[in-house]
Amino acid sequence: MTYDAIVIGAGHNGLTAAATLARKGARVCVVEKNAKPGGMALSGTLDGVEMPRMAHLVYNLNPRVLSELGLSNVNLKPLKTVSLSPDGNHVVLDGNRATRVDGTPHPEATAYAARYDDLKRFSALLAPLAERSAPGVSFGGRKLDKFSELMAAARIGLKLKLLGRRNMREFLRILLSNVHDYTLDELSDGPIAGAMAADAVKGSWSGPRSPGSVLSLMYRMSGSGPAHVMGGIGKLTEALAEAAQSQAAEIRSGAGVARIFVAEDRAVGVLLDDGSELRARTVLSSIGALQSLKLAGVEHFDAETVTRLRNIRTKGTAAKINLVLGGVPTFSGLPSDLLGARIVIAPGSTYVEHAFNPAKYGEMSEAPVLEIVMPGQIEPGTTQPDRHGMSILFHYAPHDLEGGWTDAAHARLLDITLATLDAYAPGLRQLVVASEVLSPARIEAETGAPGGHWHHGEWSTDQMLTTRPASGLAHYRFAVRGLYLCGAATHPGGDVTGLPGRNAALQLLKDGACA
Amino acid sequence: MTRPNTPDTLVSVKIGMIDTPFQPMLEPLSESQAWYSWAGYKSATSFRNVDLEYFAIRNQATVFDISPMCKYRINGPDALRVMDRLVVRDMKKVRAGRVAYVMWCDEDGMVIDDGTAFRFAEDEYVLFCQERTYKWLCEIAWGFDVTVQDWQSALCGLAVQGPCAFSVLKDAGFASIEDMKPFDLRQVEPGLWISRTGYTGDLGYEIVTFPDHAPPLWHRLREAGQRWGLIPIGYEALDIARIEAGFLAPGRDFQPSHKVSRLHRGRTPFELGFGWMVDLSTGHFNGRRALLEHAAKGPRYNLVRLDIEGDAPAGNAYVYAGKSFAGHVRSAAWSPTFKRNIALADLKAPWGKSRKKGLWAEIYVEQEGVWQKRNARTRVVEGPFMNIPRARMTPPQAY
Amino acid sequence: MGTTDKYDAIIAGAGHNGLTTACYLQKAGLKTLVVEKNDYVGGAAVSRELHKGWTYSNCSYVCSLLRQEIVRDLELPRFGLQVIPYEGNVTLAPGGEYFGAYGNHDAYRREMERFSVKDADAYDRFSRIIMRQCRFIRPFLLRTAPDPTSLKPRDLGELLFMIKRMWDLGRREIDETLRFWTMSIGDMLDEHFETDLIKAGTAGSGIIGTGLGVYSPGTAYVLLHHYMGDVDGSVGAWGFARGGMGAITRALAAAFTEAGGEIRCGSGVAEIRVSGGRATGVLLDNGDSFQAPVVASNMDVKRTMLKHVGREHLPAAFAKAVENFKIRGSSGKINIALDRLPTSDTLPDNGKLFCGDYSCTESLRHLEKAYDEWKDGYWSSQPYFDMLIPSKIDPTMAPPGKHMMTVFTQYAPYDLNVDGVRSPDNWNEETRAAFAKSIFDRLECVMPDIRDCVVHAEVRTPLDIEREVGLTEGNIFQGELTFDQLLFNRPVPGYAQYDTPVDGLYIVGSSSHPGGGVMAAPGANAAREILRRKGLGRRMPKLASRWEE
Repeated sequence: MTYDAIVIGAGHNGLTAAATLARKGARVCVVEKNAKPGGMALSGTLDGVEMPRMAHLVYNLNPRVLSELGLSNVNLKPLKTVSLSPDGNHVVLDGNRATRVDGTPHPEATAYAARYDDLKRFSALLAPLAERSAPGVSFGGRKLDKFSELMAAARIGLKLKLLGRRNMREFLRILLSNVHDYTLDELSDGPIAGAMAADAVKGSWSGPRSPGSVLSLMYRMSGSGPAHVMGGIGKLTEALAEAAQSQAAEIRSGAGVARIFVAEDRAVGVLLDDGSELRARTVLSSIGALQSLKLAGVEHFDAETVTRLRNIRTKGTAAKINLVLGGVPTFSGLPSDLLGARIVIAPGSTYVEHAFNPAKYGEMSEAPVLEIVMPGQIEPGTTQPDRHGMSILFHYAPHDLEGGWTDAAHARLLDITLATLDAYAPGLRQLVVASEVLSPARIEAETGAPGGHWHHGEWSTDQMLTTRPASGLAHYRFAVRGLYLCGAATHPGGDVTGLPGRNAALQLLKDGACA
Repeated sequence: MTRPNTPDTLVSVKIGMIDTPFQPMLEPLSESQAWYSWAGYKSATSFRNVDLEYFAIRNQATVFDISPMCKYRINGPDALRVMDRLVVRDMKKVRAGRVAYVMWCDEDGMVIDDGTAFRFAEDEYVLFCQERTYKWLCEIAWGFDVTVQDWQSALCGLAVQGPCAFSVLKDAGFASIEDMKPFDLRQVEPGLWISRTGYTGDLGYEIVTFPDHAPPLWHRLREAGQRWGLIPIGYEALDIARIEAGFLAPGRDFQPSHKVSRLHRGRTPFELGFGWMVDLSTGHFNGRRALLEHAAKGPRYNLVRLDIEGDAPAGNAYVYAGKSFAGHVRSAAWSPTFKRNIALADLKAPWGKSRKKGLWAEIYVEQEGVWQKRNARTRVVEGPFMNIPRARMTPPQAY
Repeated sequence: MGTTDKYDAIIAGAGHNGLTTACYLQKAGLKTLVVEKNDYVGGAAVSRELHKGWTYSNCSYVCSLLRQEIVRDLELPRFGLQVIPYEGNVTLAPGGEYFGAYGNHDAYRREMERFSVKDADAYDRFSRIIMRQCRFIRPFLLRTAPDPTSLKPRDLGELLFMIKRMWDLGRREIDETLRFWTMSIGDMLDEHFETDLIKAGTAGSGIIGTGLGVYSPGTAYVLLHHYMGDVDGSVGAWGFARGGMGAITRALAAAFTEAGGEIRCGSGVAEIRVSGGRATGVLLDNGDSFQAPVVASNMDVKRTMLKHVGREHLPAAFAKAVENFKIRGSSGKINIALDRLPTSDTLPDNGKLFCGDYSCTESLRHLEKAYDEWKDGYWSSQPYFDMLIPSKIDPTMAPPGKHMMTVFTQYAPYDLNVDGVRSPDNWNEETRAAFAKSIFDRLECVMPDIRDCVVHAEVRTPLDIEREVGLTEGNIFQGELTFDQLLFNRPVPGYAQYDTPVDGLYIVGSSSHPGGGVMAAPGANAAREILRRKGLGRRMPKLASRWEE
C-alpha cells in the first residue's frame, strides 16, 4: 500500500506533523528508530524512578498545536523560577514578578518587570512569524500565496506601529542585541540577570555577550514560560502519538530508516533498517537536515545546498544529568515549598559568560550553569519516600570535547555537577543513589540529533527564518519533490514548540504534495 | 599540506609569471617576446606575426602550449556519478577513451565554466578548464567515493592544430592515431596521451604528458614539424581561429558565475546556445531544477554569431534592433579565411532567435586620430562560421 | 572673563568629522567657529613629532574609508592631502610560519596553495562576497538613516530606498546578506577556509576596535566596515596619507580656513550652553564663551550629552539611552621610532611583504582567547597586533634610513582589572610598563631584534587615548559597531539623524551613522542635516555619485 506521508522520527515535531496531517485525512506512517516514540521529549526511568530523560520542561509549547490537535489531556503547570545566589539571597521569578524567597519584593523588581514586559510584548509580536512558514521574497507559488505573505508582513509591520513609537524603537534596537548588556543596563549582575542570561543561551553555542541572544530569549518567552507537563514530559509525546493514532496514523517504533527512496526527482518511500520498504507520496523527516539529505542521497541535491547544510552549526553544548536522591535535598536559604520550582544556578550574567568560555575551546565548564527540576516535588504523591528524581540541565558541555566523551569525561561532568550543587545544597552528594549522564555525544547517539544539539542547529540570527535550515530550503520543502523537513532544524527552530512539525505539515498540504 | 617554515627551509613563493615545462624551449623561438599571464604562467601573445600564425593554423600546423589550463583528476568507483552530477551532459554516453565538451552550472543554472572531460579510464577522468575549480569539485564530490586532485602542474600539454597536424604527429612517431575520430582519446606511449580535440575548429590534436616528458616530446615534434611548416603560435592567432570555429571564451563570451561579484551576470547553457547539451531526463545534476524552470520560461538572452557588414573591428560594439538596444558584441574578429567580419554577441531575448531582422551594430572606429561611428548591418549566422570537412575526416588527410 | 563672540555655528572638536561639518557649513555661508581642546587640530587623525625627526600617526594610522566624494568636493589634494595605496600584508605566527597576502594575485594564490589549494579557491569566492556586500552598503554611507517610526516623506523615502536595494538583491542574496550581517567572522571564515593561519590573518579586521571576539555574531559586519573603503576605486585597499594621518585633518582645516572659517585651539569645551531647550553656545575651559544657534559636537555622544550638556537639559529616557550606549575601550597602541628595520628570520626578504601591515596571530582560537581575557578586564597576554611601517613608503615619516612603526594592539581594557577591582585608575606607570612589556615580548617572538631597534616608544592605553583625544574609553569608533548601534539605532533610536533633544545641538562625530573610521561621512551627513533644518539644504553639494557600481 502507499501512504500519503511517511514521517521519519517520532519526536514531538514528527508526531505533531503526523497528527496534523492525519487530522486532515492523510494516511500517515511514523517510523522511529528507537523502541519508544518521544525523541528528546521522553520520560524514562532511573533506578525505578520515572523522570524526564532529556528535555524536562516546556517553555514555549505553542497553544495552537495543542488546540488544533485537541490535546486537552495535556496539562501544563507553569513553574516559578528560583535563581540561586551564593550568598543565600535567592530570587523567585514568577512571570514579571521578582521576589525574595519570603515573598517580599526584590529591590530590582520594577526594573525586572519592565524588561520582562518589553520582552513579552515583543515576543508576542514575533509569534505570528513562528506560526507559519518563514516569510520570503518570490518563493514561487501562486499569486495568492505571495499576497498572503505580504499581508502577514504588513500585519507585523502594523502591529509594530501600533506598539507606539517608544516600543517600536526599543524593539528595533534590541532585536539583535546581546542579553548581557540588555539586562545589565538596568539590573545588577546578580541572579535575576543570570537567570535571564541562562534562558537566553539555553541549548546554544553562545554566551550572554553574544549579539542575538536577546532574540533567542524572546523566542523562549513566546509561550507559557517554564512549565512542567503533568505526568512527565513523555505525556506530551504520548498525547501527540495518540492524537495521530486516533486519526488512523500508524506509528512503527524500532524502525530506523536506511534510505529515502527518490525516483524521478520525487520522494516515493523509505527503506527500513530491517530491509522492508514503505511507499508513500511524500516523506517528512524530523531528523537533522544533513542527516535527512544523506538518507535521500547526496546526488539529489545541488552542491551549494549540500555545502550549506554541512555548514549548519550544530555544536551541542547542553548535557543532561539525571539523579536519584535518597532523600529530599536542602538548598541553603530555600524553603522546601520552593523545591517544586525550576531552580537555576546562574548567579550572574558574567557567571554564564564565564561558563561559556571553556566550551569555545572544547572544554566543559568548571562552574556550570544548571537548571534543576524535581518532578516529584512538582507533583507530590508521585514519588517514593526514599527515591527522589532530580533532572538537571548542564551548560556548557561541548560536543567536541577535547579528548572525546570518554567514561572519565562523563564521570568528570557528574563530579562538577555534584560539586556545584553541593555548594548550594550541602550534603546533596551523599544523597545520590543513582545517576546518569547524557553528554551531547550520548544524546546524539541516542536520538540522532546532530552534534547532540537540542535545536538540531544553532538558533542564531544567521540560521533562522529563510536561512533555516539553509537558504533556498526555508519552506520545509527539501529540494526533492514530496520530500519535506519537519524537525527542529527548520523554522522556527528548536525547543518543544511543535511548530516546525505543524508548519511543515500545513505547508505540505498547501502544496498539494500528497494529493 | 602545511610545511613548517624554519630558517633552514625558508619558503617563499615566486612573484610574477612562472614557466610551463615547455617555456624554456618556446622562449628562444619568440621574436616578439610578447607574453601575458595565463593563470600565472608565462604564455605567448604571439611569436612573430599574428597573421602568419593564423594562416599556419588554417594551412600548415601549429603548436600551442596548453599547460596553464586547469586540470583536475577525478578518480574512483564513483567517478562517473560525480561527473554526471557535475555537468549538464549525460556522461554515461561518453565511453572510456573519449573526450566530451562539457559545461557545468551552479544551483541557479548559471554556467560556472566550460571545459573538456577526458575519460582516461572507466573510473578516471581528467577535466580541463579555464577557471580554478578544485574546491568546487570537492564540494560536488562530497559524499562520493572518489578522489579529486589538482593536476595543474602535474600534467602539461601541447595543442597541435592545422591541416598538417596529423602528418606532423605521424612523422613524430605517433602513426597509430590515424584511426582516431574526433573526441577520441588514446594513451599512445607510457605517460603520453593524445586526443583529437582542439580550439581551432580545424584538424588537430592535443597531447598531454608529464612535465619530465616535455623536452623530448618537444624535440620530436619540432623535428617532425620542419617538413610541415609547424610553428609555435600565441593566443591572438588562436583567438581568431576559435571565433571562426564558434568556441566560447569564458570571461569574454560569458561571465563564469563564480567569478562575478555583481549579481545577475550569469547565463544558462540555453542562453549560450548549448541547450542541445543539457540532458534533463537522466537524473539530477547540479542546477537541474533551475534549468527545468529556465527551459520552461525560455532564454533571457541569446548568444549568437553575427556576420557584420564592412571590416571595422566590432569588439564591444552595441547591437541594436531598429531603435531599441539589443545587446553587446562579446568577441569579434576579421576572418582572414572567410573574408568576413564575424562576432559573437549576447543579445536580449527574443533578439537573435525568433527575431533576427533589422539588427545593426554601432561601431566606433579610429583612423589616424579621427573617430567615426559606423552603423553596420548585421546578420545572424546559424552554425559555426567555419565548417571544414577535413576537420572531421577519419583517417585524416595526409596534408 | 574671556571674550564673547557670536557665530552662526560652533563645532566642538577639530577631528576629521568636525572639520568636515565645519567646511560645509562655512561654505554654505554660515560663520563657523571650530574649538579644539588640544593645541593642534586633528582629533584622532594626527601626525605628531613626539621624538625629534620622527612623525607619529599616533592614533589612526591608515586610510581607506575616507570618502573620495568628500576629498574631491572639498579639494583636499589642493591642501596637501595625498593618499598612497600600499599592498600586501603578512600574518606572522609565533611558531615561525607566516602567511603573506601579496598584492600580486598570482603570488597571493601561490602563497595560499602553499597551505591549501582549496583555500586558494575559497579566497576568490570570499573576496567576491565581500565585494558584493561592499557594493551593497556603500550607497548608505553618505545618506541619512531613516527613522523607521516616522511617516515623514523623507524618512519613508529613505526607508523605501533601503528596502528596495535589499529587495533588488533577490531571494538568494537577501539570505546571504542577512547572514553576512549577523554572522561572526569566525564562523564565516570556518565556512570558507580550512587553514588556521589564513583564517586568523583575515579575521583581524572583524575585531579591530571593537569589544567583540572573532566568534561574536556581528563581527563579519565589522570586517566589512574595514573593507568597504577604497583607494582610487580599488575597493578594500588601504593607504597611507603622505605625512601621516594628520595630513587629512590639516587639509580639512586649511580648506575650512580658506573658506573663511575660524579655528581656536588650546581650550576645550567646558559646557555646551542650553537655554529653554535650545543650544546657545559654548563655554570654554579658559573662560571664553561663544554664542551660536548651532552647536555641532564632534565628541562622542556620551561625552557631549552627559558631560558637556548635562542631564538636567535632557529627557530622562534619552539620558538613559546615551548612558547605555556602548563605547568600549578595547585597543591600545605603541608607536615606535626605529633606528633600523627589525628583521624576521622566518620571513623571506623578497621585499614585497614589508610594505603592508603585519599581524601577529596563529589561529581564531588565539584571537578568541585574547578576547576572553579582555572581557574580565585584563589586557590580552597574547595580544593581536596590526603593525605598519609607513616610513617604508612615505620617507617623510622618519629621518633618512630610520623608520617609524605603529603597533595597534588588541585587546586592552579601559577599566583595568587589578586584584578584582576594575577601574581606569588602575592604569599607572607600572601597569602601563607591564602592558608595554607584554607587547614587546610578543613582538620579539616574530621580530627577535625589535627591542634593539627602538629609539623611542610611545605606549598608549585606552585611558591615554581618552585623555588625549577625548574618545570615551579610548574606543576608536566612538561606539561599538553592533547592530543595536548602527543605522537608525546610532547613537540613539529617534536621534539618528545627527540631532539631539536639544534644539540646535548636533552630534557630527563617529557616534553617528555610519560610524567610525576616518571616513568623514558622519561629518558630511550632519552638515547636510544641519543645513536642511536651517532651510539651506540646497547649499549642500550632492556627494553621492550616480554610478555607484
